[in-house]
Amino acid sequence: MFFLRIKEFGALVGMAVFFVTFSFLSNRFATVDNLMNTLTMAAELGIIAIGVCMLMISGEFDLSVGAVFAVAPMVFAIMVNHKISEYLALLVCLILAAAIGLINGVVTLKTGIPSFITTLGMMMFWRGILLAVTGGFPIILSRRMRMLDYFGGRVTGGLRYSAIWFIIITLLFWIVLERTRYGNWTFATGGNLGAAKALGIPSERVKIINFMICSTLAGFAGLTTFARFKIVDPTLGQELELEAIASAVMGGTLLTGGYGSVVGALIGAAMISMVRNGLVLAGAPAYWYRAFIGIILIVAAVINARIRKKVAG
Amino acid sequence: MKDFIIEMKNIKKSFGKVQALRGVDFHVSRNEIVGLLGDNGAGKSTLIKILVGYYQPDDGEVYFEGRKVNFKSPWQSRQLGIETVYQDLALVNLMPLWRNFFLGREIIRKIGPFSWIERRKMKRIVIDAMNDVGISVRNPDETVAFMSGGERQAVAIARAIYFGAKLLILDEPTAALSVGETKKVLQHIEEAKKRGISVIFITHNIYHVYEVADRLVLLERGEKVGDYLKKDVTPQYIMDTIAAAAGVR
Repeated sequence: MFFLRIKEFGALVGMAVFFVTFSFLSNRFATVDNLMNTLTMAAELGIIAIGVCMLMISGEFDLSVGAVFAVAPMVFAIMVNHKISEYLALLVCLILAAAIGLINGVVTLKTGIPSFITTLGMMMFWRGILLAVTGGFPIILSRRMRMLDYFGGRVTGGLRYSAIWFIIITLLFWIVLERTRYGNWTFATGGNLGAAKALGIPSERVKIINFMICSTLAGFAGLTTFARFKIVDPTLGQELELEAIASAVMGGTLLTGGYGSVVGALIGAAMISMVRNGLVLAGAPAYWYRAFIGIILIVAAVINARIRKKVAG
Repeated sequence: MKDFIIEMKNIKKSFGKVQALRGVDFHVSRNEIVGLLGDNGAGKSTLIKILVGYYQPDDGEVYFEGRKVNFKSPWQSRQLGIETVYQDLALVNLMPLWRNFFLGREIIRKIGPFSWIERRKMKRIVIDAMNDVGISVRNPDETVAFMSGGERQAVAIARAIYFGAKLLILDEPTAALSVGETKKVLQHIEEAKKRGISVIFITHNIYHVYEVADRLVLLERGEKVGDYLKKDVTPQYIMDTIAAAAGVR
């Protein structure tokens, strides 16, 4: 059946089910404004999930994205509060995020330890730095600036610029994955590393670039959140790394690499956001949200695995 | 001498205290199918890995089309037309056939600073190239995971033919195949020869290679123990020679 070959099929059906369910449970759910709001809420998680998805397809992990999500805006806020130009600050914090990805990649590949460990260590390191630098207190942006509006400011109603970035970034990386040679190499590197190397694919370079993409997008996502709140807390983004992996997996990406879709990751993030929003509107206590996501994740992974076995072996 | 596509002289290689190759001479002529035989651990794969540049020899020389070469990586030898098909390392299971076929050699079209892969063109070529080795492809978007062992070998062989390989190295291509499929793979190998490609067929099963080979080279414990034209020997004789060299009576 051809439609099963669409990698995002399972996630699309899942999202449709939740959409219908929540529409019945609350008449405020299926309004344009609320859906825009849901998409905006999905964006900050989703931008990270795109990078995590790329990296997972090439067969590696990044657990440090949640920390990078906090480090980038922290560096930005400190620099701007010291009267440094916001454009320079933006450049520095994105380069820092990319550099963290580079270190993750180089350490993982040159030493041969699993990326799970490298990036777990990196996460702890930066969380420690965050606490040490701030003393545990949040940093508040001391002046207003137009630039930040283009990251997290309102476009109209519940829709913010972060949602637009989210969609642009998803499309961009969908094209990279499906329509370029680099995408082909990413799939091959994660799918069968030995074969990729035997065929002359520069697998190490592919992985390192994906580590950098992943980390940079996490920093960028942190900035969109910061643009919304103008305040950054050292605990910002905790556990976001796991939600990003969950989004990618719900979207059909394989934890072991070689298979996946960034559009799926977008749908996964949107699904998580939709459930969070829908449960609140349906009057369920907010505590239920995590439990619910946990179940969805497992069910989604099982269904995706079944579909994949049918179409891709 | 000039007709050798590849010639290896006095190749020696040790891994720590283990001497994997003790001065092996090996050559393949143009348009020749050579069966490389030997028991497990005889040094067959080490010899081939030196040939393609995966390992560097401790001593000895390699000549490709008469010129001395010193491959530092399999990528370099592949550029010159030496295509190797390893048992498990030929294809990426979860990827569609057409992506596998062109992996590392994608057809691209440049638009400004961007380059796109030409999906339609590649899909069309895959169907034709597979037809050439006698396999009709239903849908090039299907992943190769569902292909049989024989079909997978055919993909790798068709790929080598399409990209103009001069020397095709097959590592145990028939090891996990049924009788019928083995026969088909042997046909693909003969097809490759018809197109002027030399073939090295690595196996420890003389009966698989005997049908197609022009010459048989026997390795045992890192040494060449036999080099026969097929017409001069029987399979039984080869079996006995390998067994004797390995110390089995």
